[in-house]
Amino acid sequence: MQNKTNLNNQSVNGIKTNMIWHRRLGLSTFVVLIFLAISGFALNHSPGLKLNQISLSSNWLLSWYGLELPATEAFNLGESWIYQDGDKTLWVDGKSVAPCTAPLFAAAETADMLFALCADGLLLLTTEGQFVERFSTVDGLPANSSGLTVLDNRIYLTVGLIATEFNPSSFELTATDVAPETLTGSQKALLPLPKPLQKSLRQQSVGASISLETLILDLHSGRFFGQFGVLFVDLIGLLVCILSITGLAAWIKRR
Amino acid sequence: MCNKLYRAALAVASAALIAITSLASFSVSAKGVFQSGPDFVAEVFAPQQAVAKVLWLTPEIRAQAAAIVDHPVRGLRIRYHQSESKSAWILEEIGKEMPITIGVVVEDNIIQQVKILAYRESRGGEVRYPAYTKQYLGAFLKDNYRLSQNIDGITGATLSVWAVNKVAALALYYHAQANQNTDAHSP
Repeated sequence: MQNKTNLNNQSVNGIKTNMIWHRRLGLSTFVVLIFLAISGFALNHSPGLKLNQISLSSNWLLSWYGLELPATEAFNLGESWIYQDGDKTLWVDGKSVAPCTAPLFAAAETADMLFALCADGLLLLTTEGQFVERFSTVDGLPANSSGLTVLDNRIYLTVGLIATEFNPSSFELTATDVAPETLTGSQKALLPLPKPLQKSLRQQSVGASISLETLILDLHSGRFFGQFGVLFVDLIGLLVCILSITGLAAWIKRR
Repeated sequence: MCNKLYRAALAVASAALIAITSLASFSVSAKGVFQSGPDFVAEVFAPQQAVAKVLWLTPEIRAQAAAIVDHPVRGLRIRYHQSESKSAWILEEIGKEMPITIGVVVEDNIIQQVKILAYRESRGGEVRYPAYTKQYLGAFLKDNYRLSQNIDGITGATLSVWAVNKVAALALYYHAQANQNTDAHSP
């Protein structure tokens, strides 16, 4: 009789312990489980909900994904804005015009041409922003050229304290008496890129690469938070298994 | 016996490691600027002095050039040097990701020389060796705008080979246009 009472007590204690852990696990996972259920539902119906067509372009989100944010500064030449997308393209007033390796050091204009000095060469453009040709180091552009100034309709390139005059017709460089300080002082300064151009650049250079579907998928799998996020979701999966077992055990014992 | 086997295996592994390291350094050294454009032109026309000219890309030329290289051609004009019927063209074409700068000399619509002036890809730099580039000598442009002779490829440098083929054909086309185009003029 005593043994039977002891067994009953042990059983009741076992059920209690089981239920305590069942409750603890349930309470600690229910928020994540609800999120996983909703996000899983959204992913299952992604085509219907058109989640892949909703693009997200928030700055912090793009940075989080390691996408370089397009430049927000530009050179203003007459009515044209010249800028670089932070990668490999030169833009003029919302149009991609030519390959241009970052950084875009300087831009200048003469009466009939625009010039943009990129890391991989000097680009010659029409006043409408159409790409004419490139003057690169292979053609004789001094390596490490970083300054470009137009004075009296003459084009000057500077490398450190050495300045040379550039002839855009013959691609010849000649020594000049103009002091490099004068050229540096006259160089066009970077200005904030107007908002509409900024928006268009962001849309065209990053586009829909981060869709709402991608974001939800990464949150659902934990990948959004890197390796720790994936391990966390794994842990939640494990806890769900334990939760099912403790729930099943409690149901069996109660019967 | 085991010791001998072990030593032999160690020797083979070391030899393989040295070979791999040498090959790796070889491919790294294949990258770079080998000759500047002005030097190439001076070398090609020495002792004469070539005249610098530009070929303006009309919509027709641009369309045909795009068909030859399989992508739109950027720029409004192409710079070249000419002396009598010989012209030198310095053109760029992307191999895989980076542009390859190629010098092509054409005389009487026949390729006289192909030289890689700058190679920026990490692999495929073998296209710069004379053993490869000499295959282009004597090539001319067929009616279908392809090269008249077959160019043997290089394993592991397929895209670079394609890029050189395109540039060789393009230079022949530009040469033909420049010599019949009355708009071509000295800058």
